[in-house]
Amino acid sequence: MTLWRLEWARLIRTRRLLALFGAYLFFGLTGPFSARYLSDILSQISTPGVEIKLPDPVAADGIAQFISNASQIGLLVVVLVAASALALDARREMAIFLRTRVSGTHAIVLPAYTATTVVAATSLLAGALAAWYETAVLIGNLPVLRLLLGIGLGFLHLAFVVAVVAFVANLVRGVLATAGVTLVVLILMSLLANFGSLGRWLPSALSSAMAALVRDTEPGVFLPAAIVAVLATVALLFGAIWLGGRREV
Amino acid sequence: MIIESTALTKRYGRHTALDGVDLSIARGSTYGLVGPNGAGKTTLLAILAGLRRPTGGRLDIDARPGKVALLPDTPQFENWLTGREVVDLSRNLVAPHLPATRVDEVLHEAGLSDAAGRAVGGYSRGMLQRLGIAATVVGEPEVLLLDEPASALDPAGRREVLSLIAGLRGRATVLMSSHILGDVQEVCDTIGIMRTGRVLFQGTLQSLLAGRTKPAYLVRLRGDAGPVAEKLRAQTWVTGVDVQPPGQLRIIVDDLDLAEQHLAGVLANSALPVISMTPEAADLEAVFLELTS
Repeated sequence: MTLWRLEWARLIRTRRLLALFGAYLFFGLTGPFSARYLSDILSQISTPGVEIKLPDPVAADGIAQFISNASQIGLLVVVLVAASALALDARREMAIFLRTRVSGTHAIVLPAYTATTVVAATSLLAGALAAWYETAVLIGNLPVLRLLLGIGLGFLHLAFVVAVVAFVANLVRGVLATAGVTLVVLILMSLLANFGSLGRWLPSALSSAMAALVRDTEPGVFLPAAIVAVLATVALLFGAIWLGGRREV
Repeated sequence: MIIESTALTKRYGRHTALDGVDLSIARGSTYGLVGPNGAGKTTLLAILAGLRRPTGGRLDIDARPGKVALLPDTPQFENWLTGREVVDLSRNLVAPHLPATRVDEVLHEAGLSDAAGRAVGGYSRGMLQRLGIAATVVGEPEVLLLDEPASALDPAGRREVLSLIAGLRGRATVLMSSHILGDVQEVCDTIGIMRTGRVLFQGTLQSLLAGRTKPAYLVRLRGDAGPVAEKLRAQTWVTGVDVQPPGQLRIIVDDLDLAEQHLAGVLANSALPVISMTPEAADLEAVFLELTS
C-alpha cells in the first residue's frame, strides 16, 4: 500500500468516485433531454389556458443545460470529495500517522490532489460525452473541436478548484470548514466576474467555456482565464505544501 | 544519550506548555514520562516527533531520519483499510526496503494475524492500539514515542499493550507518557516526572523511591482502633499514628528495628484481632503525589 494507492482506495471504497461519476453522468444525460423537451415539460405543468412558447432548441442548448447543472451541483460534489481527501489534519491521529512517516507534506498533498483531480476531470469527461451523445441524438450535431477544447478548459477549471481546496485545507482544519471556505472563495470569484473585464481573467470563466465555445464564442476569449488558472493552480499547490509543512499538529 | 534536551521551551501565546525541559534519555532505555493532565507530556512528545517546533532551547536526537516514531493515545486509521494495509502503508512509507513479510511478522507479534484482513472500522479500541504499535514498530524505529498507550483501554487491553511494550525492550528506545503510574512502574526502567511544563525529577525508579518515604507500618484491626492508637502513641519509637477507618492504622516510627521488636507485642495486648500488619512500601504514587502536589 502506497499513498497513491491509498487515495485511489479512498475514492473507490468510500464511493466518492461513484458520487462524482454519478453526478456528472446524471447531468450529462438529463441536460440535453431537458433542453429538448423543456417546452413540452412546461406546457404540461403550466396553468390551463396559458401557452408557453420557447424557441426551438439548438444543439448548444444541450451542452448549456449540462454545464449549468454540472458547474453548480457537480462542482459542489468535487469540492466535498476533494475536501475529504485533502483536509489531512481534520483527524489529528490520522495526521500524526501520515506526517510522522513522510519526508514532507508534498508526499501527502500531491497524491490526494492528483487522484481527486483526475477523477473529477474523468467524471466531467464522462458527463460531457454523455451530453454530446444525447444532444446529437435528440437535437443535432455539435462542433467537435470546440467541444473538446471546452472539455479541456473544464479540466483546467477543476484542477484550479481542487488546488483551492488543497490550499484552504492547510489554512483551516476540518472537512466542512475546508469545503465551506472554498465555496465562499468560488462564489466571491463568480461575483467578481461581473465587474468589468475582470471576469475574463478569472478561472471561474472556464466553468462555462464548454457551453460558450459550442455557441461560437471565440476560443481566444478564454486564454487569459486559462493562463491565470494554470499559474494559480501551481501557486496554490506550492502554498498548500508550504503551509502544510509549517502547521503544527 | 539518544535524546538530550536543554532548556526546551514551548509557548502558545502567553501560555507556557514547556518551561525549560532538560531531558536525558539513554539509548535502549524504557523511559516513563509521568505527570498530571496538562503537564506538557503530549507537547514534549510532539516536539520530539517533529510535529511541533520548540520556542526555545536545544534538542538533540541521535537517530537516523525517519527512525523516530510516535503513537498517539487513541490511534485512528482510515476505517476502510484492513489492518494489513495499515501496517503495509506504514512499512512502505518508512522502510520500503523491508520485505512485505515483515508486515505479517509484526501483526503476529501484536496478536492481530486473524484480524489482519478485516477493515479496521470493526476493530476494538485495544485492537486499534495494538495495530498502532504494529504500524509503529514495522519500520524498526530507533526511538518509539508512546503517548498514553494504555490509558483508554480496559484491563485486558491494557495488559496486552503493556506486554507488547515490555517486549520492545532492547529493540528500541521507548519513551512512554502516562498518568497511570502502575503501568510506568511495570515497564519502565527510567522515570521523568513532569508538572506544569517542567521536569521535576528524572532517573531510575530506585533512585526516585530511595529515602522518599517515612518508615511506617500499616495495620488492620477488627474493631475500634482508637484505643490501640492511643497505646501506640505512648511508645517512644512511635512518632505518629493515623487512624483510617475501618480499623486501619498507619504507624510512623523513628526506628524500624524497634518497631519490629515491639509492635506485635503492643497489638497483642490490645486484645483486638489483627487482620494484617505490613511495613509501608515506598511506591511511585506516593512519591508522585509528594512531588506534584
